[in-house]
Amino acid sequence: MSRPERPVDPMFVPPLVKTPRRSFNLQRLKRRPSMRSAVIALAVVIAAGLLLPLLAPQDPYDLNSFSVMDNRLPPGERSMDGLTFWLGTDSQGRDMVSAILFGLRVSLLVGLTATAIALTIGVTVGLFAVNFGGKIDALLMRLVDFILGFPSILVALVLLAVMGRGVDKVVFAIVAVQWAIYARIMRAAALVERRKEYVEAAQNLGYSNGRIMFRHLLPNSIGAVLVVATIQVAHAITLEATLSFLGVGVPVTRPSLGLLVANGFEFLLSGEYWISVFPGLALVVLIFSLNLVGDRMRRAFEARRA
Amino acid sequence: MNARLLGTLGLAILPAIVPVSAGAEALRIALASEPTAADPHYHNVSPNNALGKYIFDALAATNADQKAVPGLASSWQAVDDTTWVFKLRSGVKFTNGDPFDVNDVIFTFCRVMNNPQSVAGSFTPYVTAFAKVETPDNLTLKITTKTPDPLIPEKLAEIAILSDSIVPHGEITFDLEKKCGVTGEWPTLAQLNSGEATIGTGPFKLVKYVKGAGVELVRNDGYWGEKPAWDKVSLLPVPNAGPRLAGLLAGDYDLIESPSARDANNLKKDPKFSITTKPSNRVIFLQFDIERDKSPFVETADGKNPFKDERVRRAVSLAIDRNVIVKRIMDDAAAPASQFVPETMFGAQPKPEPLVYDPKKAKELLAEAGYPNGFKLTLHATNDRYINDGQVAQAIAQFLNRVGIQTEVDAMTSSIFFSRRSKREFSLSQGGWGSSFGGASNFLTQFVATNNKNLGTGRSNYGGWSDPEFDAVISQANATIDEKKRSELLQQAARMALKSLPDIPIHFESTIWAFRKGLSYEGRMDQYTLAAAVKPAR
Repeated sequence: MSRPERPVDPMFVPPLVKTPRRSFNLQRLKRRPSMRSAVIALAVVIAAGLLLPLLAPQDPYDLNSFSVMDNRLPPGERSMDGLTFWLGTDSQGRDMVSAILFGLRVSLLVGLTATAIALTIGVTVGLFAVNFGGKIDALLMRLVDFILGFPSILVALVLLAVMGRGVDKVVFAIVAVQWAIYARIMRAAALVERRKEYVEAAQNLGYSNGRIMFRHLLPNSIGAVLVVATIQVAHAITLEATLSFLGVGVPVTRPSLGLLVANGFEFLLSGEYWISVFPGLALVVLIFSLNLVGDRMRRAFEARRA
Repeated sequence: MNARLLGTLGLAILPAIVPVSAGAEALRIALASEPTAADPHYHNVSPNNALGKYIFDALAATNADQKAVPGLASSWQAVDDTTWVFKLRSGVKFTNGDPFDVNDVIFTFCRVMNNPQSVAGSFTPYVTAFAKVETPDNLTLKITTKTPDPLIPEKLAEIAILSDSIVPHGEITFDLEKKCGVTGEWPTLAQLNSGEATIGTGPFKLVKYVKGAGVELVRNDGYWGEKPAWDKVSLLPVPNAGPRLAGLLAGDYDLIESPSARDANNLKKDPKFSITTKPSNRVIFLQFDIERDKSPFVETADGKNPFKDERVRRAVSLAIDRNVIVKRIMDDAAAPASQFVPETMFGAQPKPEPLVYDPKKAKELLAEAGYPNGFKLTLHATNDRYINDGQVAQAIAQFLNRVGIQTEVDAMTSSIFFSRRSKREFSLSQGGWGSSFGGASNFLTQFVATNNKNLGTGRSNYGGWSDPEFDAVISQANATIDEKKRSELLQQAARMALKSLPDIPIHFESTIWAFRKGLSYEGRMDQYTLAAAVKPAR
């Protein structure tokens, strides 16, 4: 894929004179009621994940703060020292409310960090591919194809099997499988922008490649990438939960939502539903609201482009 | 696409997607822990040994209560302290038609010694104990041991006999220097896993072994013993107890291993299912890294390995409330352990000094040893090998935290755990051991005696503990034919081990099997699930 030869392209369509708008139509977004509830739900979940661990009745990562003597108590039961377990306890005696709040925090942390890193890498790679074109472009894009050719869960599983457990390693594995998505979208968007007149004008003015890349191409093509990123945050969280559920994600003494679901799994048939069901619900609400927001943003974005 | 074509296609696809047809003679078993190889000499662990008993026979067999009974040898006799004569069964054929005789036995002994892929030497010490093996005739085997060994028949019950027809060979003799007369390459793990060299005399034939996906077997119609009731058997690994039970309830499996004790109690009330509970010979224990001055998963203020100090090991034992683990994690399908074999076994102490729970004393001992603020530790465990193993490890971590040892748990799948443990990568590991023969001597010889390749002792002594006085007692016990005296020596050895505590016993598992109505299984003390012993109840 080489760079288009701008001056003599017979298919060249003169772009609109108007400079493209950079912001979304926020008014449009706000007017949708389902959007409002999704944003509120998301805000509540994020706030719970970020703030409430401070207020959680116990620290589920501190093995001293709970006792196996309180294990598998149904919701509403009291512990030996008088603490009420509103959502019951797991097989080790952890308060499920605290475990879910801490688990949400891990999920958000992993989702946001992984997405931020993957986004940065992907956008940079995409811009470089467009700017340098030719062999570098071809090489980078074949690498992207190669990575996207594998199911992401498979690649992440292999990476974690080699590296071992831990939140940092989960983030690394997610970044490794997700940057390619951003690289491809960034390249596509930047390729379109690159043909536009204002870029040509900037080149004629003698601006450096770097300046054109980061000052002109980046802000004008990042919108599509950011929309994808919201949905990818949800994907990253799902991936983390899946990996933990499969037992290769976080350590067993620091459970995330996926691991909590996995832990409760074997007690489901004995009627001890709360160990799996409540963390599962928390995960569903988080993913659903993230996806809803992402979807609405995509629609708003497309409406602007149309 | 027209309807008839669709129907034909459907018929053609059906056998492919339903590997075992739903006839009365197919048996589908969900395993809690899958065999890591179809090679019976690869690793001496229960799931592998159990699979070996489907495909292969040994000279002796063990019944459900671990007594040695005739197998491929129809009778045996100890001529003197070191000489045993085995009469082999005549008319037995391998599944490839090769008739069974002494050469197959000797070839098998040699293969055990020439199996570089095996884990932790697997069965080699049984063979290195032989001074010579002679063959007065085609069906008589005379084994002379280097030292008196009362357990020869029980040990030979563990060695699965392969056919010598799987490799090119000349005249076969028990001469390890000269490769016993084998001229070709020794059979590899891959050849046995693929079924190419998996030629046995057992009740079943291997159809397919796929790691992670299960084992398929068909009945060996030429089997010399009582033929099993099942044409086909599938062994499916389902490490998680929930899905295992769900599969049984849904009719996907006919029999499942170790449903959780709580579920088993519910199943008892269901007329469509039955359960069997059997106390096992398996102890769950902790093993310390003692030999090294620095241990990889301990962080102390002074940088030293705290487990070198007997007081620290004692403190770890005192910190653990075994009764709570049995009650809250095992749902009473276990018994707290104060020694390494259950009281009913040969050589066990009838009334061992109980290993009590005393966190205050534990803290005192830690302070005395120079760790008033404890230290940081990672406890390594399996999460798919023993009953509730991951849960038990976390509960132990809780108890250790209470006395100030900040413990993290790393629970992993058993194949990774075993290979890392054999490379001695851990500081404190939680293992399990079923004493399949020899009563109390088994654990003590494997795990507590000093690691010595020539004597075949301490093969699983991954902590490097070494106590010459203990070694003297246990080796004397293992060479004593007189049962009363041997039992006394074993009890003495156990008391010594429990005083210095290189390993800490936690509990003995009870094994539960659940199956659909219309079947019966009496269970086994060694926890094996053997399809040949599963009977359709008529």
